[in-house]
Amino acid sequence: MQKGKAAVKYKYMVQKFLDYFKNIKPRGMQSTIMLVFSAISVAVMMILGVMMYLRVSAASREEMIGSTEKLMEQTGENMEDYLVSMRQISDAVYYNVIKENDFSDQDNDIQQGMKRVYEANRSNLRSIAIYNNYGSLMGAEPVVLQKEDPNVTKQDWYKQAKAETENMHFSTPHIQNLFDDAFRYYWVISLSRVVELTDNGVPQTGVLLVDMDYSSISRMMKQINAKTSGQYYYLCDGSGEIIYHTKQMQINKGICSENSKKAATYKDGVYDEFSGGEHRKVIVNTISYTGWKLVGVIPNSVFTHGMFDIRYFIVLLILLMAMMLGVVNRVVSVRIASPILKLNDSVLEYEAGKKPEIYIGGSMEIRHLGDSIQRSYEQIDMLMHKIVLEQTERRKSELDALQSQINPHFLYNALDSITWMVEGERNDEAVFMISQLAKLFRISLSKGRTVIAVSDELQHAQSYMNIQKVRYKNSFSFVMDVEPAVYSCCTVKLILQPILENAINYGVGGMDEDDGGEIKITGREQNGKMILSVMDNGLGMSEEEVAFLLTDNNRIRKHGSGVGLVNVNNRIQLLFGKEYGISVESEPDEGTVVSVCLPAVPYTEENRKMLEAGLPFGEKILSDIEKRV
Amino acid sequence: MKSSKNVFILTEAVLAVMVIITAIAMLWGKDGEGRGKVSVIVQNSDDNRWAAFKYGLRMAAQDEEIELFVVSTGGALTTEEETEIVEHEIANGANAVILQPVPGDESEEMLKKLGKKIPVLLIEYPTAGEGRLSDIPIVQPDNYALGQELAKELLNDYNGNVKGKTLGIVSEYGNSEAVAERRKGAVSILKDKGVKVVWEVSEPSKDEEETVLEKKSRVDFVIALDDYSLVLAGKAVTANNLHGALVYGIGNSMEAVYCLDTDSVQCLLVPDDFDMGYQSLVGAAESFGYIFGKPENQTVSFTVMRRENLFSKENQEILFTMSQ
Repeated sequence: MQKGKAAVKYKYMVQKFLDYFKNIKPRGMQSTIMLVFSAISVAVMMILGVMMYLRVSAASREEMIGSTEKLMEQTGENMEDYLVSMRQISDAVYYNVIKENDFSDQDNDIQQGMKRVYEANRSNLRSIAIYNNYGSLMGAEPVVLQKEDPNVTKQDWYKQAKAETENMHFSTPHIQNLFDDAFRYYWVISLSRVVELTDNGVPQTGVLLVDMDYSSISRMMKQINAKTSGQYYYLCDGSGEIIYHTKQMQINKGICSENSKKAATYKDGVYDEFSGGEHRKVIVNTISYTGWKLVGVIPNSVFTHGMFDIRYFIVLLILLMAMMLGVVNRVVSVRIASPILKLNDSVLEYEAGKKPEIYIGGSMEIRHLGDSIQRSYEQIDMLMHKIVLEQTERRKSELDALQSQINPHFLYNALDSITWMVEGERNDEAVFMISQLAKLFRISLSKGRTVIAVSDELQHAQSYMNIQKVRYKNSFSFVMDVEPAVYSCCTVKLILQPILENAINYGVGGMDEDDGGEIKITGREQNGKMILSVMDNGLGMSEEEVAFLLTDNNRIRKHGSGVGLVNVNNRIQLLFGKEYGISVESEPDEGTVVSVCLPAVPYTEENRKMLEAGLPFGEKILSDIEKRV
Repeated sequence: MKSSKNVFILTEAVLAVMVIITAIAMLWGKDGEGRGKVSVIVQNSDDNRWAAFKYGLRMAAQDEEIELFVVSTGGALTTEEETEIVEHEIANGANAVILQPVPGDESEEMLKKLGKKIPVLLIEYPTAGEGRLSDIPIVQPDNYALGQELAKELLNDYNGNVKGKTLGIVSEYGNSEAVAERRKGAVSILKDKGVKVVWEVSEPSKDEEETVLEKKSRVDFVIALDDYSLVLAGKAVTANNLHGALVYGIGNSMEAVYCLDTDSVQCLLVPDDFDMGYQSLVGAAESFGYIFGKPENQTVSFTVMRRENLFSKENQEILFTMSQ
């Protein structure tokens, strides 16, 4: 159960973590550059810092160990010199004094000899004494009162000498327990050896004791331990018994410990140790003959303490470099990002509806980008302007076309005709007129649509012509010859009525009934195009007049609504493109044929809407038709 | 853009602050190697009996890297003098004081006042008033046990047959709490065994110190309750001025050891003054937060020395501290 909860919690945490990254929003270019530069800089600085620290640290360690070794070598040599001199004293007393004389001599040569040796070396010596086999004092220098029963034979130095008679023996430091010096006790290191002496002519063995002043050794050790950085040196004998240690009492009391037993087993060299919860370097130097070990200890904390300043210095250096790189990164990122940001700002302003100068500056690439954007915007502006113009033109054309339907003159004539029919009780004809007028206006309005079916347009033309025929007292005939396929195509509304109006006004309107005036609408579909033609056999026109029909929109018309063929042509081309529109063929006294060329787009609600939305939207339909063809 | 600028300024500001902190830490690290300072005020500080104590103090100061200052007091102090010295040490920047209170009734009151100004650590109880100073830590030997042990050693020498024997008691300061405890401990055992306390000597004047014991009536044993009186008694024995009395005592100087070595003293009890010095300095460092811990009352051990074992390895370690 607990495991399940933990798994759910873990999953939740992971999800939250991933969500956090998902929710990170894209940052600005400058921030990103700055962030990346800073991250790289910090990483490089950290690596450099760590490497520098490790290198300096290693060099410092090596130097510290090297200097310690040198110091220990020097101290070891001094100590050896000192011990050698003690041995020489022992030898001098033995070979020059004891062996050469008899203790029973009245001249006291032995005492005199010992005194000479003692006086020559008194700075390092505490005493010289000779004991016989029973531990009785045979001679001593300086001459002082011997203690009452010092129990010499039980003392370590005596026992050691007796145990190995051929060697000299150095003891560990101890209180000299031989002489009474009134309240004074001396710490000595005893050098003892078995000697052959002669007393009353009888050779016998005894023990020669040279007590060295411990303070000589301790002074040497104190000198090298003067530094209190944590590094220290101690001296122990071959069995690990401590001779000198800065913390001798603390070790005795168990306050701290020392690996002297282990160090005593080491040969000369540098060793790694773990003691007192700390790693440390141990350098061992053996004092010859005695087997004493001079041991230098460098705890790891000394190395790190020595690196204290270096560490701070490196941290300080890294921080200063970080500050400097921060500034450099900032300058670089600003230099890189600034032109792009300015370009972006000008684009944003443009998008917000202002008309700023698009920023062109910075590097070559940014300049090119700015230049391209500016040109694009200029083209967009131009196209927008064009579209607005076209739309305005289209609305104007439609309005004109609509107005043509409510031409007061046309309406007056139609209504006058109706009135006349009603007065003449030609009710059927009046009804027909009214119904034709109604149809005319219904299709004119077409619920506000621009595109209608060809059938409706033809119906509209039929209604118009029916009304006009009444007005013109059937002085011309009107026929339609349209292929059925054309009926279901799309057309711009009210394109035939102005053409028919022209045909009446300038063609057949002035002809008598007997002249056989005729207006004919034909409708054909060929190659995906639909051709609606209005033909009349009226007066016709010259080529110049034909040319004027489709170019001069401002000429004042003599008859009609004033909506010219130019208007019709514009409306067609606005919706379907320049390849569509009106063409006029005329021959004076022969008649005129006005042909409207439209794409054969099937009339559906979808097509109607797309065509009404304008050329860009209707293009697809038109291209489909072209492909089909 | 503005936000990015703010972040940049903030980052640079943070880095600048870190630079300043690091620089200060670097300088402080160099200067701050100076450490806490502890002053030690004991009666007659130059006397040999303080050798082991001072050695312990020095070793602890070296281990804990504390500045140690042992005030040189030529002789016995009065409460006013001790107060004045403490005030002076406070003025000199002492962070804590290790104090041997002056025997007398006024010391308790003085310690209460001083305790409010500076952390104080005692190496001896002040003369007992109505209540102990429970909030001041004390490092000292168990004085009552010392007295008892002294009596036991005496009894051991006579297999407990001391009935009717007479006893003289010598001490430097009769009104010292430590001496009083030692006396109480020794007498509690000896009286039960039928030993009669014939006389007691305390606070002998300089003029009479050589003759004060000679003038006393003959007794079988003399118990010296502190180092000064032990050396005094030892010297009296050497001079045959003690009418054959055997001396048992408590001491902590090489003079006392010499008395034992020359058989002037039968038995010597040596409090571990090295440990007292070491622990008291550690306690003082703890009292002002230099090292982590809470100073507490501590009892140091003591060693029984006889002439036979005077130069044993263990005893030589003690003698080493006393001869520093």
